[in-house]
Amino acid sequence: MPNSKRPRVTLPLGASHAVLLTPATIMIVLFMIVPIVLAAYLSFTDWDGLTPNPQSVGWDNYTRLLHDADVGHAAIVTLIVTVVGTLACNAAGLGLALLLNRPGRLNTVLRAVVFYPYVIGPIIIGFLWSAILGANGAIAHVFSNAGHSPLPFLSDPTWAIGSIVAVVVWSQFGVNVVLYLAGLQTVPPALHEAARVDGAGRWQTFRSVTWPMLAPSVTVNLVLVLVGLLRVYEIVLALTGGGPAGRTNTFAFLILSESFRANHLGYGAAQAITLMVVIAALALGLTALRRRAEDAVTA
Amino acid sequence: MTNIRRRVLVATAAATTAILLTACSSSGGFQDTGGAGDATSANLRLLVNVTPVLTKQFYEDLVKPYTDAHPGITVTIEAPTAADVSATLQQQLAAGSPPDLVSGSLGRDTVPQLAALPEEQWVKDAPYAEQSRVGGVMWQAGSGNQVQSLVFYNKAAFTKAGLTAPPKSLDDLTAALVKLKGAGYVPTQTAGEWVTGAQVQMMANSNVLGATPDWFVKRNTKAVTFAGSPWSKVLETYHGWVKQGLTPKDAMGLKYQDAMDQFLAGKSATFIMGGWFVPSADEAKKDVGVFPMPTLDGNPAPVAGNPSIPWSVTKSSKNQAAALDLLKFLVTDKDAVTKELKAEGNFRKGFEYDATPLNKEVGAIVEQAPATVVASNGQGDNSAPTGFNDELNKLVQGLYLDQKPADVLKSIDGWYSSNAK
Repeated sequence: MPNSKRPRVTLPLGASHAVLLTPATIMIVLFMIVPIVLAAYLSFTDWDGLTPNPQSVGWDNYTRLLHDADVGHAAIVTLIVTVVGTLACNAAGLGLALLLNRPGRLNTVLRAVVFYPYVIGPIIIGFLWSAILGANGAIAHVFSNAGHSPLPFLSDPTWAIGSIVAVVVWSQFGVNVVLYLAGLQTVPPALHEAARVDGAGRWQTFRSVTWPMLAPSVTVNLVLVLVGLLRVYEIVLALTGGGPAGRTNTFAFLILSESFRANHLGYGAAQAITLMVVIAALALGLTALRRRAEDAVTA
Repeated sequence: MTNIRRRVLVATAAATTAILLTACSSSGGFQDTGGAGDATSANLRLLVNVTPVLTKQFYEDLVKPYTDAHPGITVTIEAPTAADVSATLQQQLAAGSPPDLVSGSLGRDTVPQLAALPEEQWVKDAPYAEQSRVGGVMWQAGSGNQVQSLVFYNKAAFTKAGLTAPPKSLDDLTAALVKLKGAGYVPTQTAGEWVTGAQVQMMANSNVLGATPDWFVKRNTKAVTFAGSPWSKVLETYHGWVKQGLTPKDAMGLKYQDAMDQFLAGKSATFIMGGWFVPSADEAKKDVGVFPMPTLDGNPAPVAGNPSIPWSVTKSSKNQAAALDLLKFLVTDKDAVTKELKAEGNFRKGFEYDATPLNKEVGAIVEQAPATVVASNGQGDNSAPTGFNDELNKLVQGLYLDQKPADVLKSIDGWYSSNAK
């Protein structure tokens, strides 16, 4: 019987690094880099999504962006939804995390309940709330039965934007609760104990001990919600469809409408690239701004 | 370490270049030409418009007699996976996997991706095939005529308001709506979504396209404008309704289904809609009547319609011969056409089915109309740019907010001029 023991092949360190990196590199290139490069290429064309040979239009799509009133309006709506939504998600997430950061069965159940909306698909959430807030919806019936005029949750542009923010916050803040709870677990109890010994009250303990120690969690929560809300689309589609009169169009909603309803895929690609750059710049900027607070924790 | 990094970078760059070259050289998955294929043996993929009435099962039952008679042919029914048939077709074309037959509302941009239908009598006889011509070529054949620009009305509401005859002119209609409001009804039902713009288009069909059937051809060459056409009077009339409270105050918060429910519950007195509303009204068993959309001058106008369940063959289909033969069956076979007509309550001369009383009323409107015009955004060379319906809907909804009819007309003219090809 021949000796089955094979000689052990040892790859040079560089080669083993390359072998280990290859699968991830291929995936990243295939599913992230290539689509971005193709989108960037299409953004300089007049592609309608149907013709095989798009024509180059140079920077026309980007210049058009600057003068398009719909883009300007969608940018404002997106800004409102993002700023108000990010603050509300974090305030609600942190507040509930502080309340639920105690052992107990009830708190365990409540954590699951609070997280539940996050696992429902956004389209379903949109339709669900449209059945509640619509002019013929559940709340309107309650008002009507009580002899009052229904509130224009979805028919008035200002109310409709408010409704979108409220629904988005309801659907998102569960994950913020979980992340803040994880952050709260990392605060050493000894610090709280020391603060108490020094005579600090609840608010003082929170401000001087808990909040600074939560800095990394705050950064993660802010960036995650900010990026998510800048791309909000499905809830708008199911809740208002961009209406009334396009007044609740967000930037992501506009990109999809322009690309697939009006067959302006080249222009839609220019909008998408612009949004991507804005998201990257804001995420990096916010992370850089938060670095000082995080450094104070690690110091 | 520098060497390792360089090797990794070179490998990554090579992979990226290879993938990009592959992606670019295939023209994004488009295939300019397909092939006739074998007419007796093929698996045909049909991309269809699925609605509560036109279900997948409906289409499967529709083609079954054909596949039973042609054992070599199998048919796969595909529902849209994107927003609608047009968007799904766009994605399938880009992915290099187009269907053989497609049924749905398609814009003029799509025509280069569709096969020219033959210059044969059965094609010319199919509803709206002649009107589908782009550059002289027919590319779509309908199974029937789907009537638009109808005003459904609650008979009890009309009686209570003392209205004994349907209004003939738009001014008469406005006066009737005022009386209906006085009788305690929501005078005319509307909703957000696509409904607002579609209803205004139905008002315009009779008044704009009736007088100038090739209106979109003229608008495409800037020979006419929205602001300088009867569109102006139509929008002013509609704006007047909004200001006088003749439409629901919360209309923009309603969906199409809500609008149907409100009307069929008897809360609203009239509902401007297309013939596809007939099956829902029949199912609700309400005493509903229908009259044609009144005109500016009160004279009878041509009936506006669209092809119902229109069929096209894709240019990149590898089974064009079999697909065309199935298309011929779908627009000529008596049983198949009747089934298609009955499903949505549509019409076609020479094809009759057991119609409901309300459907017969619509049929009488079609019979009495002096002519038929292609409704809404037109068809073939005589059609608006893709995206017109959405843009018009958005602008018309502005009348419920702070927009004036003149601003809407200016905006739609501006949009049209930027997008007309």
